[in-house]
Amino acid sequence: MKSDDILTVAGLNVSYGESKVLFNINLNASSGQIVACVGRNGAGKTTLLKTIMGFLKPTAGTVTSNGTSLIGRAAYVVAAMGVKYIPQDKKVFSDLTVRENLELGSYATRDYDWDKVTTYFPKLKQLMDRKAGYLSGGERQMLMIGRAILGNPKLLLVDEPTEGLAPSIVAQLKDVFRELSSKSTLVIVEQNLPLVCAIADKVYALNEGHVMAELADREQIKPETCEQYL
Amino acid sequence: MIDAHLLVSGIIFGLSMGSIYFLTAIGLSLCFGLMRVISLDQLLYYAIGAYITYSISAAIGNLWLGILCGVVVGGLAGFAVERLVFLRIYEKDITFSMITSFGILIGGVGVIKFIWGLVPRPVPVPIETQLNVLGTDVPVYRLIVILIALLVYAGIWLFLNRTIIGKAIRAGTEDVENVEGLGINVYRLFTITFIIAGALSALAGGLNSPLIMVDPQMGLEVLAFTFMVVIIGGLGSIKGTFISALLVGQVVSLGSLIYAPLAQMAPFAIMLLILLIKPTGLYGSQLLKR
Repeated sequence: MKSDDILTVAGLNVSYGESKVLFNINLNASSGQIVACVGRNGAGKTTLLKTIMGFLKPTAGTVTSNGTSLIGRAAYVVAAMGVKYIPQDKKVFSDLTVRENLELGSYATRDYDWDKVTTYFPKLKQLMDRKAGYLSGGERQMLMIGRAILGNPKLLLVDEPTEGLAPSIVAQLKDVFRELSSKSTLVIVEQNLPLVCAIADKVYALNEGHVMAELADREQIKPETCEQYL
Repeated sequence: MIDAHLLVSGIIFGLSMGSIYFLTAIGLSLCFGLMRVISLDQLLYYAIGAYITYSISAAIGNLWLGILCGVVVGGLAGFAVERLVFLRIYEKDITFSMITSFGILIGGVGVIKFIWGLVPRPVPVPIETQLNVLGTDVPVYRLIVILIALLVYAGIWLFLNRTIIGKAIRAGTEDVENVEGLGINVYRLFTITFIIAGALSALAGGLNSPLIMVDPQMGLEVLAFTFMVVIIGGLGSIKGTFISALLVGQVVSLGSLIYAPLAQMAPFAIMLLILLIKPTGLYGSQLLKR
């Protein structure tokens, strides 16, 4: 484990009650990398992100960020340490306006610089007073990412960001993720292999809770290679 | 036909009763909405509020100071119970909180009996004046109770919509995990919610004390109606709780004018009807995960 690794997961085992979901997972991400986790539904990808974030307690193993253990800390403490989780299903606070959603992101981080959000997503400027529940899927995802990047997190855990989105929005998000990687490390769970292969520096293929492959060479990261593990 | 004077006083009576139901139910609703716990101990704070009001007003003759002290004690009791009990059971199944809080309620009733005894206590009405409303004299105190409930509703609305803590609580009622993921200490929100809930339940007890006889079982006596108000309004909805409380108050009050047994039966019939049409209650959203 190198202390300059933004994220190091070693020997991680996670269970839901009697049912074991993750088996001896090892993963690491260095500064500025985009690390993708691919795998079928039920492979344990979301469980992995939730465990890193502190929502789930592992039965064994370690999760460290810059050498500091994240295990046993509440999720809000992990978030305060600069690790942000963008959940799947575009879970905005639907009863709150876009502005209020961003206010909560700012309240938690004391970062009120919304320009960086609207620079990535200019469309949000016009939607500030709209209830988030009335946003389209793409707009919701923009809001989720915008809310998470307040406070300049060092690590962004992004769960299925492009699921159900139009190709034009996916293309926009691809550019955003590339830009974000200059400031944050990204761990993205994604099933969209062309996107993964376009942006990822490293890919972990998961199957039934096991890491089946680690593709760390850009030459290896191709849709046909990744597809073998899906 | 109901006499017009009787109808006016029935409506005012129903509104004041609905106001008390609202203040009692709002804590239950807030606690469910944010923490997904059923906090029946709110009915204990209701009784505590009434007894503190009784004791203070008996000692110094000032009901309003008694109510204020009751509110403070209710808030502190809510704080203590949240820290000592609920903090340990948030992750458990919802039935666990229901059973535990019912135990706290029953235990608390025992403590009340030990301190104040079994005999019901009267609390004098602070304002005997009657006000003429549409040709009918109605007690001013009941109008004050209605006014206070309206102010509390407005205050809660402002708190939830205009303060960042309130917005975080609203967000938490949708998805508390998502709020925590932003870096907000949700356990602090839980504590704040419990304090507010306890204080408001105690306010209900204090305000109601001159309108009833204060007795140890008073929390248990309103338990069914409070629960019904929360369910009709929609779990976690403040607006729903408010409208539902006024509706139940009217049904009980006007029902008793038409046919006395209706007062007890009709609210349950209304609840069944509403749940058949809208299973989540008037303003309840789909049950979201904690």
